[in-house]
Amino acid sequence: MQRAGMLLLPYARTRTRLLAHPSARLGGLLVALLVLFALVAPLLSPYEANASDFVHGLGPGDTPGPPSWAHWLGTDRIFRDQLTRLAMGARLSLFVGIGASALATLLGGAVGIVAGYFEGTAIDAVLMRLVDVGLSFPFLLLVMAVGAALDETSALTVLLLLGASGWLGTARLVRAKTLQVRAQEFIAAARALGLSTPRILWRHVLPNVASTLVFTATLAVAQMLLAESVLSYLGAGVPPPAASWGRMLFEGQDFYQAAPWLLAGPACLVVLAALAFHLLGEGMRDVLDP
Amino acid sequence: MSWIRERLLPALAVALAAGLLASAPGCHEPLQAPEAAAHPDDLTPRRGGVLHLATIDDIRSLDPAAVLGGTEAQLDPLIYAGLVDIAADGSLAPDLAESWDVSADGLVYRFVLRRGARFHDDSEVTAADVKRSLERALHPSTPDPYASFYESLAGYADYVAGKAPHLAGVEITGPYEVTFRLDHPDATFPKLLALLPARLVCPGAGERYDESFVACGAGPFKMTPGGWERGRQLTLVRHEGYFRPGLPYLDGMNMIFSMPALTQRFKLESGALDVVSELSGPDATGFRADARWASSRAVEPFRQVWGEAMNVETPPFDNVEVRRAVAAALDREQWAKLKPGLLRPTGQLLPPTIEGFRADLPGQVYDPAAARAHMVKAGLAGGWPKPIPYLIVKQDINELTAQLLAEELAPLGLHLDIRLASYPTFMARTHARGHAAISHQGWQQDYPDASDFFEPLFSRAAISDTDSNNMSFFVDDRLETLMTRAHREISPEVRRALYDEAGSIVVDRAPWAFAFDVSSLRVWQPYVRGLRSHAQYQYPIATVWLDRDPREGKLALGFGREERAGFGLTSGSGSAR
Repeated sequence: MQRAGMLLLPYARTRTRLLAHPSARLGGLLVALLVLFALVAPLLSPYEANASDFVHGLGPGDTPGPPSWAHWLGTDRIFRDQLTRLAMGARLSLFVGIGASALATLLGGAVGIVAGYFEGTAIDAVLMRLVDVGLSFPFLLLVMAVGAALDETSALTVLLLLGASGWLGTARLVRAKTLQVRAQEFIAAARALGLSTPRILWRHVLPNVASTLVFTATLAVAQMLLAESVLSYLGAGVPPPAASWGRMLFEGQDFYQAAPWLLAGPACLVVLAALAFHLLGEGMRDVLDP
Repeated sequence: MSWIRERLLPALAVALAAGLLASAPGCHEPLQAPEAAAHPDDLTPRRGGVLHLATIDDIRSLDPAAVLGGTEAQLDPLIYAGLVDIAADGSLAPDLAESWDVSADGLVYRFVLRRGARFHDDSEVTAADVKRSLERALHPSTPDPYASFYESLAGYADYVAGKAPHLAGVEITGPYEVTFRLDHPDATFPKLLALLPARLVCPGAGERYDESFVACGAGPFKMTPGGWERGRQLTLVRHEGYFRPGLPYLDGMNMIFSMPALTQRFKLESGALDVVSELSGPDATGFRADARWASSRAVEPFRQVWGEAMNVETPPFDNVEVRRAVAAALDREQWAKLKPGLLRPTGQLLPPTIEGFRADLPGQVYDPAAARAHMVKAGLAGGWPKPIPYLIVKQDINELTAQLLAEELAPLGLHLDIRLASYPTFMARTHARGHAAISHQGWQQDYPDASDFFEPLFSRAAISDTDSNNMSFFVDDRLETLMTRAHREISPEVRRALYDEAGSIVVDRAPWAFAFDVSSLRVWQPYVRGLRSHAQYQYPIATVWLDRDPREGKLALGFGREERAGFGLTSGSGSAR
């Protein structure tokens, strides 16, 4: 009988395959750099992320200061160090992106496994119709509508909002995978041995859909990063003065000509971060679920 | 996987590189040159053409009896005429009234109307319309937020209480003569007759407010069927029967709503808009720095004051020393850098355009040491132990000032917890008792008079539990006395002295930490002629003319020739000469 985790590749072999995979390698490298930037840059910066520098931070005509030795990436509209805020924005984006992805994976995985295992029953029907209804709304539209309806937001509410809205696709994918696993002989054997349903789901189904969960979670981080930026850009995200790439884009858009560095930094980081997690996720999918 | 390597990555790389190159310093797209006037030296107005405007706002109603303010209050004077009007310099000027006189005791005003003035429905304007329109606006069933302004009218209290069918203080003393009797002298009364509630509506409007009313007055422009597409645009056409001969020069005007400032700028440059006055800070700076637009731009008068309203009923701002500390912690000069040239740092209530403003009045000033001393006096040397919720509306400057304020108050131990809220939520909470300890607030004049700043913001009468204009819930007996006396005082000199003392009280007791007065840069294409700054109105376009049809020979963006044809407008319909 196959046991839990039997379908997973051994860790060492998985790592070797990931390192050999070009997309995974590039994505992993970019993610590592992003994490390093988020963790280290604010510590090395001489500036507080929320402190205005009215001495060195002003450009000509009281515009935001351009890149200089004092402020490598210039200053924003209230003359705060752009580099420091980008790094703090990276922290926020990673926190929200990874946290929301984890929540979405948890919810989607649970719903998908239960629906798949109970295929054809009322439980499956109810859960999948719920997913169908949710998926009929474009994700960003749904998130924006709920975000706009919230009176007050914080990093945690944004995380919960994204996580609670982003599990639908995962549920459908995991259900399909569960259907495959459920048809395996070791599941029938487990039933024949009298194992309880929760035990079968936990010990035998979950480990065998874990690879699907891992790469969908990684891909979801990219989606959540983008969604967080969109929410912040539209004002339904994390409130000021917290640095957020989306908010930085919003605050800098009027200066797209006079101070283009206000847009270039956050725009590049949003694209790079989404790309990094996407590449990593794609690579993981190729390796874990060939 | 190969598509990622072969397509996605190169595409992203190219997009990133293009984005960076496009945004690199030195690659800025300069402002386009203005479109030249056809007859720049000819000052004779020409008739014809449609003026194209836009605003970031939207409007809810065009009924002068139910206008809250904002853009609709700026548009209504184009549709409705009153007995008097506010002139460009802020003085009172005759409008439908030919003349007026006031009794020696200041209690009786007699107005004589022009003969032959006509409403948009071609009926003649008479004294009966004055009384009917005012009673319609002040009736208790009408949601008119300005009704209480007219409390000095004899019989007002009985009328709004439903005890009297008519306003006793408004008498028709002839077909073209109307007399107002006041219970007590009211220095603001003549100016109140220029406000929207006193503007005349067509007889078809009836005697009571009705939401289905289609805008109809005696102003220079009139509505056409379908002229207001809610949420999208408003089109007005010339009122051919306007009582000022030859005016307006324009065939009509079109205003598009909810257009972002950046879009307005592009549409001005492309010629789709003729005038803009809601430019973003950098765009305003760009236009001000561009010599080609030098003769087509103007900084409008400061009509608004902004600051931090502190609720004196809510800790820690129930302590006057804490409020003084906040007032001393605001670095107003730095705040003004958020919109160079358009924010004027101020430490007092009245903007400089208001009679009663005194540049030498000792206002609130930035003094961090004094701010700390005030906190010590308040017994809060270590600061306030809890975060203070601070609601803001997502709207550019508000978000920036909130962050600056939080930064400046943090050293005092006052930690703001900034929360973004929708506009209705912000209004509901900051105007309700006990909900907001401190909030960023502004006040724009309803009419150019000091009373319109003091009384709504700091009088006892302006306090209500759910919809308080007095957002700091500040009451001071001496201030109350001064405001009442000044309101009733006819002598300008005495009024000024009274408001000086009132101003000193609000500066010292600091229910608000005053921050800046706000203006805007108006930019127009040079073929728009006759556009002048106005003390009250953002769109004083009755005397504006186009010296050529700017959309002749090309398809206009937004509201184009085809759409104009739908309103029966003609373009370039000749010259007044």
